[in-house]
Amino acid sequence: MFRAPKNAISTSISRRKFLELGGGAATALGVGSVAVGMNSMIIRRPAYAQSSDAAKWRQYEGSKLVFMSENTPPSFAIRDNLKEFYDLTGITVEILTDDLPVVQQKIGIDLRGGQADYQLNYIQDKPIGSPFADFYEDLTNYTKDDTLPQDSDGYGEDAWFDNFLRACGEYYVPGRIVAFPYDCAVACTFYRQDLFESLTKDFEADHGYRMEFTEDTTWKQVQEFAAFFTKLRNGGREDIPYGYGQHHGSFAWTSHLDIQRMLFSHGRWNEFDIDDKLGSKTPGPTNWGDEQSVLIMQKYKEQADVSHPDNLANGTLQLNTAYAAGDIAIQVQYHEFCASVEDEKNSRAGGGKTAYAPCPKGEKSWVVGNGDVVNGTNCGIGGIGINSAASEDLRRAAYLFAVWSVSKSTQLNVLKKLGGTPTRPSVLAEPDVQAARKRPSSMPNALTFDAVYDYGIKDPHFVLGPKIPEANEYYSILLGELQSMVAGQKSPEEACNGIKIQLDDLHDI
Amino acid sequence: MTGTTYSTEIMSSSGKTVRDMSDGGVVINYRPSLVNPPASKRYYFYLMAPALILLALITLYPFFWLIYMSLHKVDLGGSGDTWNDFKNWTRLARDMKFLGGWWLLAKYSFYCMLFEVLLGIMIAVILDNSRFEKVLVTIFLMPMMMAPVIAGLVWYYLYNSTFGWYHWIMQSLGILGDKSILGDVSTAMTAVVLVDVWQWTPLIVLITLAGLKRVPRDQLEANMVDGAGAIRNFFQITLPNTYPFLLIAILLRFMDNFRFIDALMVLTGGGPANSTKILPTYLFDVSFVFFKLGRGAAIALTLLIVTIILGMILVKVFQSPSASTSQGGE
Amino acid sequence: MASHEVVQYRSTIRSAINVFTFVFLMVFLIWTVLPFIIMFVSSFKNLLEAFNLPEKGDWASVISVFFDFEPTAIHYRELFTERNFATYFFNSIVSSGGSALISVVLGAMAAYSLSRIDFRGKNHVFFWVISTRMAPVVAVMVPLYTIFRGLDLIGTLPGLILAYTTFNLPFAIWILKGFFDNIPYAIEEAAMVDGHTRLGAFREILPLAAPGIGAFLVLCILFSWNDFLFASIIGSGGAKTLPVATRELVTPTSIQWGKIMAAGVITSVPMTFLGLLIRKYLVTGLTMGAVKE
Repeated sequence: MFRAPKNAISTSISRRKFLELGGGAATALGVGSVAVGMNSMIIRRPAYAQSSDAAKWRQYEGSKLVFMSENTPPSFAIRDNLKEFYDLTGITVEILTDDLPVVQQKIGIDLRGGQADYQLNYIQDKPIGSPFADFYEDLTNYTKDDTLPQDSDGYGEDAWFDNFLRACGEYYVPGRIVAFPYDCAVACTFYRQDLFESLTKDFEADHGYRMEFTEDTTWKQVQEFAAFFTKLRNGGREDIPYGYGQHHGSFAWTSHLDIQRMLFSHGRWNEFDIDDKLGSKTPGPTNWGDEQSVLIMQKYKEQADVSHPDNLANGTLQLNTAYAAGDIAIQVQYHEFCASVEDEKNSRAGGGKTAYAPCPKGEKSWVVGNGDVVNGTNCGIGGIGINSAASEDLRRAAYLFAVWSVSKSTQLNVLKKLGGTPTRPSVLAEPDVQAARKRPSSMPNALTFDAVYDYGIKDPHFVLGPKIPEANEYYSILLGELQSMVAGQKSPEEACNGIKIQLDDLHDI
Repeated sequence: MTGTTYSTEIMSSSGKTVRDMSDGGVVINYRPSLVNPPASKRYYFYLMAPALILLALITLYPFFWLIYMSLHKVDLGGSGDTWNDFKNWTRLARDMKFLGGWWLLAKYSFYCMLFEVLLGIMIAVILDNSRFEKVLVTIFLMPMMMAPVIAGLVWYYLYNSTFGWYHWIMQSLGILGDKSILGDVSTAMTAVVLVDVWQWTPLIVLITLAGLKRVPRDQLEANMVDGAGAIRNFFQITLPNTYPFLLIAILLRFMDNFRFIDALMVLTGGGPANSTKILPTYLFDVSFVFFKLGRGAAIALTLLIVTIILGMILVKVFQSPSASTSQGGE
Repeated sequence: MASHEVVQYRSTIRSAINVFTFVFLMVFLIWTVLPFIIMFVSSFKNLLEAFNLPEKGDWASVISVFFDFEPTAIHYRELFTERNFATYFFNSIVSSGGSALISVVLGAMAAYSLSRIDFRGKNHVFFWVISTRMAPVVAVMVPLYTIFRGLDLIGTLPGLILAYTTFNLPFAIWILKGFFDNIPYAIEEAAMVDGHTRLGAFREILPLAAPGIGAFLVLCILFSWNDFLFASIIGSGGAKTLPVATRELVTPTSIQWGKIMAAGVITSVPMTFLGLLIRKYLVTGLTMGAVKE
């Protein structure tokens, strides 16, 4: 069946020739990499301060850049829109998209090697920003450069939503901004308003208050709602969803965010006594193991007990899948998921059944001491930043893309196309975006904007930290202990102490 | 069939030799071994060189690099590695996820082996010489051909508590409650083992079948004459004869469990509560998520050392009489 | 009378065993093929149809629920129109085929030489060769990346070919050596007597090993085709292969199950056929030559 492969090297070739051939083959491999590869390329025609804007945009015409990004809708939408950027600048941009853990890993290897295969990086605030912040350019130097085109909306704190710039851009050094907010995922509550309405009478009979969701709804009430639904479901009502679902699965970061919301709601608890928005490379001993943390851990476990039975297997995405399948009544979820929940073709929770509210508020009686109760809200703000290892021209060319990708018009396009998550308030001012905040909405994500942009992301509710270089290992430690506790293998005290011991060990304390 | 194939091909390539070669036995008789002494060693080394140099480049450097890294605190950016007095190594001694990772790896491998070998032998014995051997073996082979990452995705889909058919089946059979098999600390390990069993039991079937074909018929018959039943025959003759094959299979699978974590990463990523965090997945975390390259190198070295020991055992088995490979030359 | 009873008794046991083995085989058969069937059928369902399950314990309606859907080829179509699967398919073919070819050519040369000479430490060299294949990929990924980066091969097809060669080449050397061991040196000598050069003699015996070489070419393709880690890190974005592209259909906001199943079919079908094609050599290949059928 198989024919003998014809030997490539004929007998008349001398040994020496043969070795040369080998060399030739090796060279061919090298040359091929230029042709097939993703190597960037730079072609420059200098622009000056007095040049026209168009000339400034086109100063790197013919160049090629690589942007490594998470596979979020904005990146897909921007990829579809790349022609627009090419028409503006003449620069080709290759957008590589991957799962966040893979992006993390590739960016890490690239930076670790002192390379710049990816001149543009997607800087997800803590998973990527915290460990790698030092490897990115300080963008403030570029915003002041008048040989580069600049966005008329500016880049100051007020050009973005509250806290966004600091969330993804500022690490350890005040005033050094390494990323512009590119997309965002902010937590808010998704709940089944239809069921809340139809069942509130039964609930009220038991608990003496109406089942409804406002910004004053507390974690204790959420637990009671959840218990109510889950009890019905377990009693044989297959048409009733389970009450609640937490973020577990294997992606540790989102589990951290899940418990952090609850912890921060009660006395604005934080892991470390450091500036939450700036972070620190030497955070000192952790607060895990204190009375407040143990109490909330215990409440978190109680919450887990009235959640979807597959709680531990459900990561953020699976949780949303279960919610969209009509299996969960309340989830605290990132607002970027709204579009998929509202998609009536694929969701049983769409079409007006779901309403959106800010994250639940802290319960006064659960606060140890006399801290405030807030609606602890957190986020993943994905920034776009520039790898310092790239050559100066590459960095400048990359800046052009960074500016374009976070501009108001680009964000507006993305929002219209694929459920984007804008980072500039000016986008919200657009009349059609305003209209979309009410049903029927042409941009479903806009339905969450009241809860998210007008409430959750503002102080005192917003929590960003902890920005520490060891963030990813901390999340992994936390996930292990948290899930052991939820599974009943450890008590809340044991879990909290387990976290404390490992975390302090990590910081050599 | 193969014989005719090669002789015709030789004919097409050079006419002259054919007449000498087409009746193979003759060739050997008339070989004048003194006319042309064995080729010089240098010639063979040249032939070997490209492959060995390439291999050396891509294996030795990483190995020394690992040793170097494991002895340093490695900062990002390629510069500023500092000697840290074996801290990466001493840390491992109290790293519960490292120790637990070894334990879980052993446990995972043990269960995979156990089920695969038991099932594999049963299937092979049933199939051996049966009417459907060809067809069924062919069908049973299919899972081995699937990319592990795809297998992981497909099984993840089957296990899902919202829409998974296997979840539904297990629920309907009363094996499982509402919790999915991946969502419970006590069952997640079983779930990942099942996927490995699904994918690799066929290999054990194949290997056992190959072994069974080698069981000497006369021994079996002689034993029968001595009054042995089918079961005694199996344990006295068949199993000892297939044993070296099984050992090879087990060692190979064991080493593959060190190498391939694609399916497991998709299915559980090591969770829940680290209940499936076998060592290679923890190594992945340390090196690629925490970017502790020094510590990762230390873990990697422990993994490498154990692999090499296993490999040595494997090669010993290879060279045992049952696996006959003659040395080159005459 | 008594003996008659024994026979009766035996035959009941026999038939009990027969029934048991039949049921056992059936269960194993279903267990083996069911994931394939579900994957295949689900690739033609839309999301809500795919999520339909019967009531718990309602075995009677399994078939009707499972097949209750309007077949759609949209997932397949979109993989090619929206997701560049044609390119990924091409990348998979080129990278696995290229690596298989290089591995077999270089491997045959090395295996032949190793088979023909003896030198001090040969066994050590040989063990080192095979140990390179056993090394856990995760363990050596970072240094490998550095090397490949240094050669400018990250994200390129040649890079991926070279990466796959790291595990195919030792495999090829190991297996092919067994082949050459079985070819008597006398044949080469005879060829040289006929005036062939040494290389010519090597060429003469190649056809003897050809069927095996062909089969292992296919096995090398199979190994590389199914690889994920190398393709994901060394292949990076520039040389994306089918398994990596399939994994990417799990996005942060949705898992596109229909497309994943379709991609699973596209990735698995060619390999299943290739595997069956070389079925005779499969055991030898997968046991690194230790077991021959």
